[in-house]
Amino acid sequence: MLNLRLLLFSVAFLSPILQIKGDDFKEEMFIKPLPPSHLYVYFQFLTLANGEESFEHSHLAPRSLGEIVSRYQVEELHLTLTEGQWKHNTWGYPVLDAAPGAELYAWFAPDVVDVDTQWKKLSSTLSGLFCASLNFIENMNTVSPKMALWPTGAYSKSHQNITSQLRYASLPREIVCTENLTPWKKLLPCESSHGFSSLLNSRMIHNTNYHSIGVHIRRMCSGSNCLDTSLEIKQTVALVYDFKILNTMDWSLRKLFGQGLPGACPLSSSSRIYVDITSNSSYPFKLLPEPNSIMFSHRGGSKTELAVYEINHSNMMNIGAKYEMRNKIFVNIPPPLTFNRYVLGYGKEFGGIVTELSNNYWAPIDVVLLENAPWWLPIQLSTLRINGEAESKLIMSQYYSPGRSRQKPYHLELLLKLPPKSTTTVTIDFEFVFLKWQEYPPDANHGFYVGSALLSANLPTAKNYTSLPITGSTFDSIVNASKPWYPIVFRTNGGMVSLPTPDFSMPYNVICLACTVVALAFGPLNNICTKEVVLKIIVVPVSLRQKIFNIFKKKKD
Amino acid sequence: MLANIKKVFSFVILLFTLNLCDAVEIPERFQKSNHTNNWAVLVDTSRFWFNYRHVANALSIYRSVKRLGIPDSQIILMISDDMACNPRNPRPATVFNNAHEQINVYGDDVEVDYRGYEVSVESFVRLLTGRVPPDTPRSKRLLTDEGSNILIYLTGHGGDGFLKFQDSEEITSQELADALEQMWQKRRYNEIFCIIDTCQASSMYEKFYSPNILATASSLVGEDSLSHHVDSAIGVYIIDRYTYYVLEFLENVNPSSKKTMSEFLAVCPKKVCISTVGVRRDLFKRDPSKVPITDFFGSVRRVIITTDPIDIQEVPKRRKNISLNKTKVQEKREYLPQFPMHLVKTTV
Amino acid sequence: MNLIPKYLVACLGRYWLIHTDYWQTISNRVEVATPLNSWKRLIEGVYLYDHGINPYEGDSFHESPIMLILFHFLLKKVPYLLPVIFVLLDALTAHILYKASKSFIRIFKESQESGKGQIAEDSITMLVTESQLDEVPIYVLSMYLFNPYSFLNCAGMTTTVIQNLLLAVSLWGAASGHRALACVFIALATHQALYPILLVVPISILLANVNQGCNKCSYIRTLLGFVLCWGFCIFISAFIMDGSYDYIYNTYGFILTVPDLKPNIGLFWYFFTEMFEHFRLLFVCAFQINALALYVVPLTLRFHKEPVLLATVLIALSTIFRSYPCVGDVGFYLALLPLWKHLFSFMQQKFIVGCAFLITSALGPTVWHLWIYSGSANANFFFGVTLSFATAQIFLITDLLFAHIKREFTLKNGSSRQVDGKPAKLVLR
Repeated sequence: MLNLRLLLFSVAFLSPILQIKGDDFKEEMFIKPLPPSHLYVYFQFLTLANGEESFEHSHLAPRSLGEIVSRYQVEELHLTLTEGQWKHNTWGYPVLDAAPGAELYAWFAPDVVDVDTQWKKLSSTLSGLFCASLNFIENMNTVSPKMALWPTGAYSKSHQNITSQLRYASLPREIVCTENLTPWKKLLPCESSHGFSSLLNSRMIHNTNYHSIGVHIRRMCSGSNCLDTSLEIKQTVALVYDFKILNTMDWSLRKLFGQGLPGACPLSSSSRIYVDITSNSSYPFKLLPEPNSIMFSHRGGSKTELAVYEINHSNMMNIGAKYEMRNKIFVNIPPPLTFNRYVLGYGKEFGGIVTELSNNYWAPIDVVLLENAPWWLPIQLSTLRINGEAESKLIMSQYYSPGRSRQKPYHLELLLKLPPKSTTTVTIDFEFVFLKWQEYPPDANHGFYVGSALLSANLPTAKNYTSLPITGSTFDSIVNASKPWYPIVFRTNGGMVSLPTPDFSMPYNVICLACTVVALAFGPLNNICTKEVVLKIIVVPVSLRQKIFNIFKKKKD
Repeated sequence: MLANIKKVFSFVILLFTLNLCDAVEIPERFQKSNHTNNWAVLVDTSRFWFNYRHVANALSIYRSVKRLGIPDSQIILMISDDMACNPRNPRPATVFNNAHEQINVYGDDVEVDYRGYEVSVESFVRLLTGRVPPDTPRSKRLLTDEGSNILIYLTGHGGDGFLKFQDSEEITSQELADALEQMWQKRRYNEIFCIIDTCQASSMYEKFYSPNILATASSLVGEDSLSHHVDSAIGVYIIDRYTYYVLEFLENVNPSSKKTMSEFLAVCPKKVCISTVGVRRDLFKRDPSKVPITDFFGSVRRVIITTDPIDIQEVPKRRKNISLNKTKVQEKREYLPQFPMHLVKTTV
Repeated sequence: MNLIPKYLVACLGRYWLIHTDYWQTISNRVEVATPLNSWKRLIEGVYLYDHGINPYEGDSFHESPIMLILFHFLLKKVPYLLPVIFVLLDALTAHILYKASKSFIRIFKESQESGKGQIAEDSITMLVTESQLDEVPIYVLSMYLFNPYSFLNCAGMTTTVIQNLLLAVSLWGAASGHRALACVFIALATHQALYPILLVVPISILLANVNQGCNKCSYIRTLLGFVLCWGFCIFISAFIMDGSYDYIYNTYGFILTVPDLKPNIGLFWYFFTEMFEHFRLLFVCAFQINALALYVVPLTLRFHKEPVLLATVLIALSTIFRSYPCVGDVGFYLALLPLWKHLFSFMQQKFIVGCAFLITSALGPTVWHLWIYSGSANANFFFGVTLSFATAQIFLITDLLFAHIKREFTLKNGSSRQVDGKPAKLVLR
């Protein structure tokens, strides 16, 4: 034992730590037409900081984020703020999927004992940083997924219990607007003055079908033996433009963002724009100006062509595409795995959640489905049906943590094997809960949002797959990156239910009435127990005339 | 260690203000103010789309105080509902003060500290009195001290003696007065200027009893505060009269302008406002006609120029962090599979 | 015997109702199923238990672990027999009530005989005759078997069926002098629903009266027996849950703190929905004391000579004021009412109470549908109905007690209502 430690120590001591690099900043933009009617624009701003050092010095990495990471001992963090719903059926798969509203999940370092407290502190701090209501994240809407989420960063081998350090929460009601984008932009080394981030004009990007901003922090291996790690801070923006709103299919940076690209951020080591021109064969368009180079990638049975633009530091430029043919009939080939989720039932007493998973591929696909029902939507595990069956052979593993009112949500995870070319329906029933009147939000009759379910899939094919491989962080890493599996985490669409509401103007009346009824019992019972029965002479009531007469009589006296 | 850092900081601030003083100097005719910093608490208490104008009101004041120099970190902006990115807004990410789209009061650089359901009577009173939960981030705290001048702006639907929050609860004038008194006792302010733009707004300040508060209201008790005009594209009233004229007035103020508070208090005469603007001066020790408007709306610092040399040598060097020298046992790390492969039965 | 057709009809009716399409509707009705006793939650609890998840970790199961293990076993071995089991248990309850009422009548006869000396001359005719008394058990039986409330309760397969059985057995045990039986069953009932703890008082008085001998010793023995049995139940439950007492928060804690505000026929749900948060604890305490402790001592002091009446009243009051009442509870104490047939002539509000029962029973489901499904009414409507239902029950009980007092007075002082030749009326002083 001692020997081993000595050995490790010497290795640590001798290994050249001379490799200390400064921070590195890269900006990338990925544009993919989603024929026939949409355009996907994805920005990623990568800041690579030396992860071992505490955050007293940083050159390019945002100090506020670095401090959060070191203060709360966060191993990996993912925060997205999204408006709109990604349509997987027609748009294919995004580079990074995000749940509507706010979504936050993080792994804490193995030596953090009180994860829940750290998690609460982390979410409150982030709420201040990003002007979002993340402080509404509490134990009652937090789960720690057992199978659906895995750290994308490098983890030490000895570290066994990863899921116990993971916390996941989503706030489907969260609105995303300029006030979230403003602090997000301030984290970038060039803020919004130079580089790609100067394109992010809030008026243009909020006029899209789908927009999502995100911050993803993970530890990346530096060096091949992965003894050292560096901290990767990835800030992303995903936008889906609708050609109908743009009024034309021909797009250009000026049309999308209201201005041309004023050049790269001077602090970036590389600024590149990738345009996916795979759809060029079916929907021909011409890129202007000509790209610097074209990359071909064969990955998992799918062919991708990327036009690459290297952006210089100073020159203003505008990239655009001109479509050559109009009104072509488009056949949508759905991606290998599609899904749909909806709420069943009528009335405000009982209901059900249905998740339909379609495997369009010829081989079985393994997925993990995470249903995360808030405490006010108690699901009943005994009503779980898969294709109508209570005991399904498709379930390979199952985890269920029942919820408690006002304390924790209902959390169900299913590891399913979806048979080839089939649709699997997962149904679960719930009962509506009657809340206390002060627990209802001010707009109680607007309805209550049910967060999206997580769907973690192990795709056997890279069709429609745009995500980066786990070892890479830039888009050039997808070239010929064939793997046996292509893991991806999807978010299904969320739902909305309207809970039964009490009359909010009634508290005093109700309290008075209910107490009156109690008093109706108490009074007579008290009389019965404390008084005795007697006969009392009935006094004939004096008539009014007699009364008046009596008054006069008295006066006479 | 901390104290040292503080010293360094205060020195830097001093240097900074020394630079600033060349640009802006407070004219002699104004009464001296003791304040050292400026804060603003801007509250829109109304939810729902048809209350668009209240959001526009709060954002108008936000725009002005920010332009006049109060930094975002010292502005607490509470907005009850999202109007800018509301699906009903035909021009996303904008809130205009005017149907002609003269001023986008929302702007491209905005930080809303409390929004949506976070805006409640409880969080407002907690913010004022400083009794916030321990995890509250800095941007959601009112970190004022006895040298702070605070501008409080409230807009929403009010009645005689109360102001509604989000159509579901209300703060009474007594509660507001008590919160301000608590602030005074905790030395959380130097002076407060309170603007209330609601119906029967003056009822809100009638119960105030703490010193150094100047208050103005868009209407007297029994009067309604009226809105200014409709934007037919948005479909609702887009701003209230009082705040419309306040914004018009403030647009002509710059950090060096010599406008006084009394000019501000007379900003909306009855013939344009339709309601009577109420003012409460008795708690305020200075004469509003001698108070520069930037005492509340801007962040113009009082600067004392010293001719004595400052000994910079005293500033100690920062000690190196000891933890850096700690040898760390390096562990080999690896990327994990992204799927619970160990649970999947491999069918060969 | 002409009883067998009654049993048959009642059983077949229940069995048929369970096997119709209406079963789901009935077992989901708020009037029938509460979070405490619903079949759905029982199934969920057993399902979780079968899958190795602690059912008390979540918020879906509030039965005692004894019930959990019982139904775990039943659902595993004989799931197809469960409707039959429920019907038979209900029939058994009826039968035991029948037997118990026979014992009660015997006790009543004895006390009437012994008290004959103090009865006024002109009130002799008011004494209840043999033949009248002999009819009573049959009325009790019919009331339980054909009462729509018990009918729906059994058809909804709620655990209140078992609760009623336990109560009936303990009453029967007390009436026939089987102390052990009474103690064990009242302890089981208490373990299941807490409120039957009230019945310990009348049962110990009954046992002392029936067994005769040292009264105090009898009380102490009964009490000791009950406490031991109850403690054993709690211990056994913890043993079932692997030594953890956490289930108590989800059973007794759930009953006492009323966290689930799903509407039922009681008074708690809307009251605590609309309660201001800082007064919640105060009012929870007040309401639970009202249901559990307030009336026991005074009523016992007043009616210690009439333990059966005391038992009836306490069952009724705890039903009205408990946190999660259901129609099954109401059906149970209504079945005991025919025991007091001789008081009916003294009751003043029979008509009002009867009408209120009918109207609220019809209006309840209607306004519920309007509120929850068609969205054209709101919670106040249903609250109004439950409020009047509770009021009707309260009138029934207080009227019954007044009737008893009046009859007592009349028996003692004769039926003339005159003082010194002048017309007079009965009043409380």
